[in-house]
Amino acid sequence: MTDIPEGEETEMNMTPMIDIVFQLIIFFLITLKFKTIDRRIDSQLPKDRGLAPTPAKPPEFEKIKVKLFRKNKGVEAEAFTRIRVGNNKSDTVDLPKGSWPGEATAEYKKLDEVAPYFGKITNIIKKKWAAQGNNPEVTGEIAAMPPDGGAVPHGDIMRVLDIFIQLGIGKVVFEGAAPPLMASEGGTMTGSALTR
Amino acid sequence: MAKKRLNKAVVEGDESKLNMTPMIDMTFLLVVFFMLSIDLTTKEFIPVDLPFAYKGIEDIEENQDETPRFVINLLSSGEVVFKGQTYSLSSDDPTAQETALRRMREELVALTRDPKFREDDGASMIPVMIHGDRAAKWQYVQWIMQVCAHPSIKIYKMQFAVKKPVSEEEKGN
Repeated sequence: MTDIPEGEETEMNMTPMIDIVFQLIIFFLITLKFKTIDRRIDSQLPKDRGLAPTPAKPPEFEKIKVKLFRKNKGVEAEAFTRIRVGNNKSDTVDLPKGSWPGEATAEYKKLDEVAPYFGKITNIIKKKWAAQGNNPEVTGEIAAMPPDGGAVPHGDIMRVLDIFIQLGIGKVVFEGAAPPLMASEGGTMTGSALTR
Repeated sequence: MAKKRLNKAVVEGDESKLNMTPMIDMTFLLVVFFMLSIDLTTKEFIPVDLPFAYKGIEDIEENQDETPRFVINLLSSGEVVFKGQTYSLSSDDPTAQETALRRMREELVALTRDPKFREDDGASMIPVMIHGDRAAKWQYVQWIMQVCAHPSIKIYKMQFAVKKPVSEEEKGN
């Protein structure tokens, strides 16, 4: 014991460091996320609206207009989305009350709950499109106008857009209120969904 | 000196000790890799509950254009998170909303200044992805779209991040 060999003290004990480094690797492996979204819908805003418009061709077909309203929007639990296709009151569908849940099991329950309502809207749109000969040039329009339109959840609008795309109506126009910033810069917002 | 060490090693069985250096080198490299990749992936997307849609393009490399894209996150509360900045649109005060939208517009103007990403007609080639919560109010999406289409920005390409509902069979798995 008294005979300590030269330089023996300089050898480091690597074990704690390796322990920590492995812990770090495990932490990064767990937190690493390569992907957060799986799908998207491409869309094109029109260049013929706003301050610097380019001339647009007059539409040859009647637009299939879907209007969305948020009723009872003041009370979260009582609020619901009313969807009307065209101007006919009989083509109106009221979605179930409440907002979209974030919790995984609840969101699928909600999805099943709203499925028949969106099925009904699909049928109405299908009928209106068939009346125009299922022409691909027919434009869909999603209008969420003030005062009730702005409060419609993004999820409901995307479902309506999804219906148009599922049916094969590739051109969808959005209409709504201008932001508080640019009230003087045109009051409508439009866009077309492109299907690839 | 060298001779002495060698002798000692032979005598005391030092040969059985593992050489840790290559392993530690590799481990550090792994740590560095994860540190770098983690930084790149988490900044862009804020976790939100995406809207459901049955149709839509799979968001993979092959379906992605060459140009970069901007991801605008919209939380259910009405907060917009874009390039690390937060813009609150949820306020009831129109002046505060106006300020937030103006800041967002200025940021987008600065980001789209490069003429390399402009079409012949002046429109921007860079698409904007709206990565919005399904419970967010649609008016905020409208406002974001209108800011993008502003004559000083001219972004007309929009993408909506959506989620495909899991089918019955997949749910059972």
